[in-house]
Amino acid sequence: MKLLPLILKNVFRKKARAILTIGSIILPLLVICLMGTFLRLLDRPDPAETRGMFRIVTRHKVGLASPLPMSYAEKIRQLDGAFAVTKFNWFGGKYIDNSARNFFARFAVEPETLVQVFDDATITQGSATDWFNDRAGSLVGEDLMKKFGWRIGDQIVLIGDIYPVTIQLTIRAVYQLPDGDSDALFFNREYLEEALPSFQGKVGTIWTKCRDGAAATRLSDEIDQMFENSPYPTKTETEKAFQMGFVSMLGNVKLLITSLGTIVVFVILLIAANTMALSARERIREIALLRTLGFSRVTILMLTLGESLMLALFGGILGLGLFVVGFRPLKASLINTPLSGFATAMTLFPEVLLLGLVITIFVGLFSGLVPAIQASMRPITEGLRHIG
Amino acid sequence: MTNPLIIVENIVKKYHRGAEELTVLNSLNFTVYEGEFVALMGPSGSGKTTLLNLIAGIDRPNSGYIFVGKDEISALSEDKLAEWRSRHIGFIFQTYNLIPVLTAFENVELPLLLTPLGKSERRKHVEIALSIVGLADRMSHYPRQLSGGQEQRVAIARAIVTDPTLLMADEPTGDLDAKSAEEVLILLERLNSEFKKTIIIVTHDPKAAARASRLVRLEKGILKEDIPTESLDSARFAEAASVFVEARPK
Repeated sequence: MKLLPLILKNVFRKKARAILTIGSIILPLLVICLMGTFLRLLDRPDPAETRGMFRIVTRHKVGLASPLPMSYAEKIRQLDGAFAVTKFNWFGGKYIDNSARNFFARFAVEPETLVQVFDDATITQGSATDWFNDRAGSLVGEDLMKKFGWRIGDQIVLIGDIYPVTIQLTIRAVYQLPDGDSDALFFNREYLEEALPSFQGKVGTIWTKCRDGAAATRLSDEIDQMFENSPYPTKTETEKAFQMGFVSMLGNVKLLITSLGTIVVFVILLIAANTMALSARERIREIALLRTLGFSRVTILMLTLGESLMLALFGGILGLGLFVVGFRPLKASLINTPLSGFATAMTLFPEVLLLGLVITIFVGLFSGLVPAIQASMRPITEGLRHIG
Repeated sequence: MTNPLIIVENIVKKYHRGAEELTVLNSLNFTVYEGEFVALMGPSGSGKTTLLNLIAGIDRPNSGYIFVGKDEISALSEDKLAEWRSRHIGFIFQTYNLIPVLTAFENVELPLLLTPLGKSERRKHVEIALSIVGLADRMSHYPRQLSGGQEQRVAIARAIVTDPTLLMADEPTGDLDAKSAEEVLILLERLNSEFKKTIIIVTHDPKAAARASRLVRLEKGILKEDIPTESLDSARFAEAASVFVEARPK
């Protein structure tokens, strides 16, 4: 601790260089934290596993654009271990216009079975019964209500694109899911079936709530085997795997983000190492003086490493602080972009901040390692002769 | 006669310059007694600074022994030698070697950071050292705010702050004007006579050598002459010193 003032004085010996280096740590660290948050969201624990909901999702093996016969839902319901089954159809369409700001998920569903399968959801405004009783009623996520400033009883008009029909809905209930993803709108599929008879008999996905984890694993295979040789083969997976599937449509996003993150860390490391190498080279004579005064090789090593660590920590702590302070505004600004789904689920994960701190310490120690070893090992007489 | 403080026995020091081997000190024997003020003189490349560095423990001989007090410093490990230097050696350089981002106080405090002394004790020691060199009122000044003479006096305060056994000075007046050089020499003389510090000074300056109690002349790594200055009258001293000065490359 006695050497701390000396370390601090050395860190800010060349103020402009120190500030630029600190800046070059702050900005990449913000990017890393954002990437870490995204990765963490992709790796979120399966709600079906954590809350004992054991939901699985069945879709056409070819893809989401191919529908399944509605009769499949009844066949699945009869399987041992299936507790409740509900059907989803992606409606799409547009609300007001096609801008990203007005985009949100819209599904035609079976209201009574939906609340059975998603029994972890809470109705926060209105009531499920009101929705069941109004064929033109809708169930809206809490986040969407806030985003558009809607209230119970408000009218929502959706203009179909996949389905050539315009539907007018009344908000009857508001839901909130415990994991915070409450940004979709659900309405009764009977409304769509009446308006568009060709829609009848087809479902996009079938969601099954299983009795337990073992049943969820078994049923995933059993359902796919049951329909394997039919004209509509299926693919069944857990809720998390299904949601991950959307992301994987973009390619191996996790690998891409991890690779980019690694490159960013390497770049910070090079910048910090360059600063430390310059700093140590300018002070060869001073280090020789300190050793003449009796500073041991280990103390010199610690001084130089302490300096690089301190420099990195200044950048790291400022970067993490900025990330924490700027998190809410950033989240709000992303809500109205195509990344709104990601933005809604964004949370300040402590493990992401910890990762940022670990990267900072790693950069601090490794950037100073080579200059520190060189400084501590150089013969004193050679250092004293050095003209810097 | 006082006790021997430094005994140098058969010291050989060689340097390699590419394939060429250069013998800087060749089987040198040399003894310094407690309380002596020794001036090492000789032409450039005669091995003065090398000998000073070896005695100060910042360089190692190829062969031979160096004893300082009871310690055989030529046999100490790197870490032990660093610890030994911190307790026994005060080093004064020609170019002062003050750290520019530290104040005079902080520069003088540096060697004390290696001791178990607390902050207030360190402050007391630094204040005493700076008052001895007459710079108690310049504590918060940075080196760039001091004159060359003042910088060298801060460097002397740093050398004496741990109360070392030995003071080693490598051309301490080499970068100073005549007035500042005189002040530094008076200070060194005082440290020797009043504070009983054993001092070895490498110099080309006859005036600096005249302050010493003993003149040692090296040439090509061999001890050529070893004269107690008190045995020299002024004419003989001038003659002896002039030999050294003439030997200095222009």
